[in-house]
Amino acid sequence: MALLTVRGLTTSFSTDQGIIRAVNGVSFTLEPGEVLGLVGESGSGKSVTALSIMRLVREPPAKVQAELLDFEGTDLLRADPRTLRDIRGSGIAMIFQDPMRSLNPVLTIGRQLTETLVRHINIDGNAARRRAIELLEMVGIPMAEKHLGSYPHQFSGGMRQRVMIAIALSCNPRLLIADEATTALDVTIQAQIVELVRTLTKNLGTAVIWISHDLGLVAGLCDRVNVMYAGRIVETGPVREVFYRPSHGYTIGLIGCTPRVDRVGTPLKPINGLPPNLMDDTPLCPFLPRCDVAIPACHRVRPELRSFPGGHFANCLADLTSRHAELR
Amino acid sequence: MWRYFASRLAQIPFILIVVTMTIFVVVRSTPGDPVQIMLGMETSPDAVAAIRKEFRLDRPVAVQYVLWLGDLAQGNLGRSIRLNTPVTQLLAERFPVSLRLAAGAMLVALCISIPLGILAALYRNTWIDYLCTGYTVAGFAIPNFALAMILIYVFSIKLGWFPITGIGTGDAKTIFGAIGPYILPALALGTLQTAVLTRLLRSSMIDILMQDYVRTAHAKGLTPTSVVLVHALKNAMIPFVTMVAIQCGYLIGIQVTIEYIFAIPGVGSAVLSGVINRDFPVVQGFTLVIAAFFLFANMVADLLYGILDPRIRY
Amino acid sequence: MAFSIRESATEMAVNFANDSDKIAPDEIPTVRFATGARLAARQFLRNPAATSGLVVLALLCLAAIAAPWISHFDPVQIKLSAKLKPPSWEHLLGTDHFGRDVLSRLLYGSRVSLSIGLLVVAFSTSFGVPIGMVAGFMRGHVENGLMRLMDAFLTFPPLLLAVTIVGLLGPDLRNVMLAIGIVQVPVLARIVRACTLSAREEVYVAAASALGASPLRIATRHILRNILSPIVVQLTIGFSAAIIAEASLSFLGLGTQPPNPSWGRDLADARRYMADAPWLFLSPTATIMLAVLSINFIGDGLRDALDPRSWRTRARAASVKG
Repeated sequence: MALLTVRGLTTSFSTDQGIIRAVNGVSFTLEPGEVLGLVGESGSGKSVTALSIMRLVREPPAKVQAELLDFEGTDLLRADPRTLRDIRGSGIAMIFQDPMRSLNPVLTIGRQLTETLVRHINIDGNAARRRAIELLEMVGIPMAEKHLGSYPHQFSGGMRQRVMIAIALSCNPRLLIADEATTALDVTIQAQIVELVRTLTKNLGTAVIWISHDLGLVAGLCDRVNVMYAGRIVETGPVREVFYRPSHGYTIGLIGCTPRVDRVGTPLKPINGLPPNLMDDTPLCPFLPRCDVAIPACHRVRPELRSFPGGHFANCLADLTSRHAELR
Repeated sequence: MWRYFASRLAQIPFILIVVTMTIFVVVRSTPGDPVQIMLGMETSPDAVAAIRKEFRLDRPVAVQYVLWLGDLAQGNLGRSIRLNTPVTQLLAERFPVSLRLAAGAMLVALCISIPLGILAALYRNTWIDYLCTGYTVAGFAIPNFALAMILIYVFSIKLGWFPITGIGTGDAKTIFGAIGPYILPALALGTLQTAVLTRLLRSSMIDILMQDYVRTAHAKGLTPTSVVLVHALKNAMIPFVTMVAIQCGYLIGIQVTIEYIFAIPGVGSAVLSGVINRDFPVVQGFTLVIAAFFLFANMVADLLYGILDPRIRY
Repeated sequence: MAFSIRESATEMAVNFANDSDKIAPDEIPTVRFATGARLAARQFLRNPAATSGLVVLALLCLAAIAAPWISHFDPVQIKLSAKLKPPSWEHLLGTDHFGRDVLSRLLYGSRVSLSIGLLVVAFSTSFGVPIGMVAGFMRGHVENGLMRLMDAFLTFPPLLLAVTIVGLLGPDLRNVMLAIGIVQVPVLARIVRACTLSAREEVYVAAASALGASPLRIATRHILRNILSPIVVQLTIGFSAAIIAEASLSFLGLGTQPPNPSWGRDLADARRYMADAPWLFLSPTATIMLAVLSINFIGDGLRDALDPRSWRTRARAASVKG
């Protein structure tokens, strides 16, 4: 059975102007232990999707609806607050982009670790302390015992993110959502953190959703990837398939503007136009205004889901196979 | 941290000198002959001259000030011209009374502002928030003596629950007898001080609740109570506690109208009668102590800030 | 109100809702600048509390000026035959223990309170602003010295200092203005200095690239525009504080001397008659509250209107779980 099933997830904000659909009909499933990437530009709805799954969006003003939002058999949409709180932290855990702002500045690291443990696992203070030390060592923080009494501002960015990972994995969650977890870090630290998460989650068998706008990161880490635009998933499939045989105008655009080590000197192709208006629930393809591979049909009909070999799907009418060669 | 406080301590003498000098100048600029006013028109010129000499009123102003400072260094604040008792003794009698009143007012303020501030931040734009806003707004607009008058009328005269005099008379035999006379004045004083504190707590909490670490706390599955009371409140307490310290110092000065209405023998009313009776030593001595207390309260506030916020290490 | 195109679409979309008059929702977003003053005025007028405060204050000022036409009773004339009459058509707010019409006393009393408020504001501005600006510009020893001096004056418990000055030097207008204003000067000076400091940073950059046009002229104009809003807000606070301070002084017997009308003095007189003549207490209290509240609302409205950042924060606050 799938670990997480999302079908028709829509998160909307109602404003004086109209309804903004930050997430518009998103569907995907996640198997236990699978690593899924969620890519797209800023504002594509990646973070809001994750927050909506965890029901961390403030409702109102938001409204989270879905045909199905199921985690390990629990209906997250209709669950009562208590159940949701039990799942958060121990079933699904999340790490955020800016570790400095995501850790409480006036509580010690030790306290922020042990409180999660005490909340979800039935252990006493001392056992929690010992476990906290283990966790810190697990994420590679030296002199763990001494650091239990430290405060977040005494750590560097990379170390803080390690602490966040420790907190997130402390109760052995079945799903870890990493929301731009490396974006705020230096490149070398990024690599360390990515590797850390990869190893730990592999050992624990945790499924991971990596949210990022960094295609390279996702390509190296994930089994499958969902490409999001304007709150919808426009392409999904195994990483190799999607990145080597992109089948949506947006994906091609994204890849086209990603710098490549093996193509030094080739000019990058930016995607023209401005970010989409999320109030516009157009029946046509949302990427149409900015797409350079659009065909006449795109202006008339709604894009249908086309399937490609290997469990690869895209919401695009154009045939982009001719472009695949130039991407190799 | 100590270097910072050392520099703060060093500033204190300068500040106190400016304060006392200003008061001195004001006092000495009083129109009319103070001694004559005090003793009345029928006193013999010899008596007047003798009093003048004793209180050094025959010397130039600057000299008087320096001599006063000299006395101060020896712990002598002079004698009250009217009561003929040492100012220090009067201070010893009156300061504790004012402190008790201020403490009572602060207690009232804390009991109201902490829950109200938290609730208003949690339930923004609901009736609780509007109540809070209305309360803080009214708190700035009602003069505290007006509130005192209402309280006296309702609780003392009509209902007879609380006495309105009796502080400092020393015949309190029961706890209620001891605290009773303080209740109404503390309510009058404290309810309005609350406005500042409630506003501060509410806006701090609103800011804090928007922070990323609160979102993390929710993502960890912690109960809302824990998130608010531990994660959020602890951060909000830092500016709050320092404001409480500052307000304590401030209260002592503001109390004068309340002390007047309730006939409380505190420092405010001492300054008031000192001013009316042209009792210079009292005015000078009491103002000095009040200002020093205020400075002390501010320093405590800074100290607390440094202690409570782990990010600050001077 | 420009914003960066790079801004996340969600944030932008949420902001759309709140900043509706800045972007036409149908178009691809184009940036449209509106002049600061017009925008501020519009934001202010959208705030019901602030607008009603403005109206009330205007009415109070008008009433104070037009006192002789509104009420023909002499506020000072004793008429014992008419003493302690409850409100009626003849005496709209009743009479006091000397037979004087309460409404008259309030109207003439408002002249005192409002003019003290204005005087205090004028006093604190004329000292606070220059001191703050000089301190912000000169830095170094001058700044330090001035700020220490300001700290010293901040240590005076406000009411007590006022009691001392007015009590000793006499209850005339000048002394009251001095007494209340002296403690407001340091607060204003501090604010002005802080704003000058931050405005200076920007101005010197502009001045560096500007081609030699008198930097002092640019500085004065630019800086003045930056500091205007916090000053104005602070002044409203000072105004209302001055009204309460004057009322307190009169209450204690130190301010306006009898038989001249004053809100605080009337409250003191009302003490004895709380049970028999509640209107004696209620009228001045209500008037004081009205004046202070309206000024406070205006101040709040100004603060919201003049601070563009507060718009953005409100939008963000609405969207994420807190």
